[in-house]
Amino acid sequence: MADEEDPTFEEENEEIGGGAEGGQGQRKRLFSKELRRMVYGFGDDQNPYTESVDILEDLVIEFITEMTHRAMAIGRQGRVQVEDIIFLMRKDPAKFARVKDLFTMNEELKRARKAFDEANYDYGS
Amino acid sequence: PGKGRVTGVSGEGGVVPLDPSPSCLDRIPRDRFEELRKACDEEGELRRQDGLRPRAGEEADSSSRHPEAKRRKVATKGKRPRKRAVDELEAQKMRTLMSSMSQEQLDRYEVYRRSAFPKATMKRLIQTVAGSTVSQNTVIAMSGVAKVFVGQVVEEALDVCEKWGETPPLQPKHMREAVRRLRSKGQIPGSKHKKILFF
Repeated sequence: MADEEDPTFEEENEEIGGGAEGGQGQRKRLFSKELRRMVYGFGDDQNPYTESVDILEDLVIEFITEMTHRAMAIGRQGRVQVEDIIFLMRKDPAKFARVKDLFTMNEELKRARKAFDEANYDYGS
Repeated sequence: PGKGRVTGVSGEGGVVPLDPSPSCLDRIPRDRFEELRKACDEEGELRRQDGLRPRAGEEADSSSRHPEAKRRKVATKGKRPRKRAVDELEAQKMRTLMSSMSQEQLDRYEVYRRSAFPKATMKRLIQTVAGSTVSQNTVIAMSGVAKVFVGQVVEEALDVCEKWGETPPLQPKHMREAVRRLRSKGQIPGSKHKKILFF
């Protein structure tokens, strides 16, 4: 009743209190499985600490949130486009190189597929 | 002695880039990793023929979903011998590197290449923040950048961990110190916007 602590509520409280870095609090974990693999690939232990992975997830979500907002503010307003992301990364060499490569790769794939389709079309007729 | 070393790691063909691949290797069974890597290399070489000069040491992999050999017969722009020489040199270095990796290192490298954020979840996250739909390319770009971001944090954290005379697994304190350092280097954006707390 009044004295009784609802155990569910208490659990939630503890989770929020003992949560990860940043003021975001706890939410359902979105990337836990893949993040655990990712940090192993980047050099952490094969069994990383959950608390550390949670911190990373919060960081990633914060990063994506921030970048999405900034992308919407530039270029075509209200839209998130690849060109915007490329521009936003311009001061970070590693990120810039990666996103630019992905973009260029994609353009080339499109060109190749288009040429391939056109070639097929010619043979067909 | 000790851990068995992998022999017969071929690797002839195009360049094996060092950057993580977002998708090329996802759906391939593990034992075909090598074959697929070669197919990706061909894709990468095709891409390079078009004039993109990769950053030294940070060549990107191709995210090919259709590694058919037919692709090479498609007309491309003129070949550039100097670029191919550079690519071949990089490929050589990669071959040497991979042939001297221990099994543990190869395992880790494979996970490094294959790991990626789930596209559907990423798309949902971006669209929730943006309040509108985004293209698949945007999801791919954001996923790729986010992965680099994770790598930067983890590498910095490993550095901190080592400097403090400790060992992996990384602890929250390493992460927090890493974030602090990266923020001062400007590699982690500060918040200009209201944080989304619940979704």
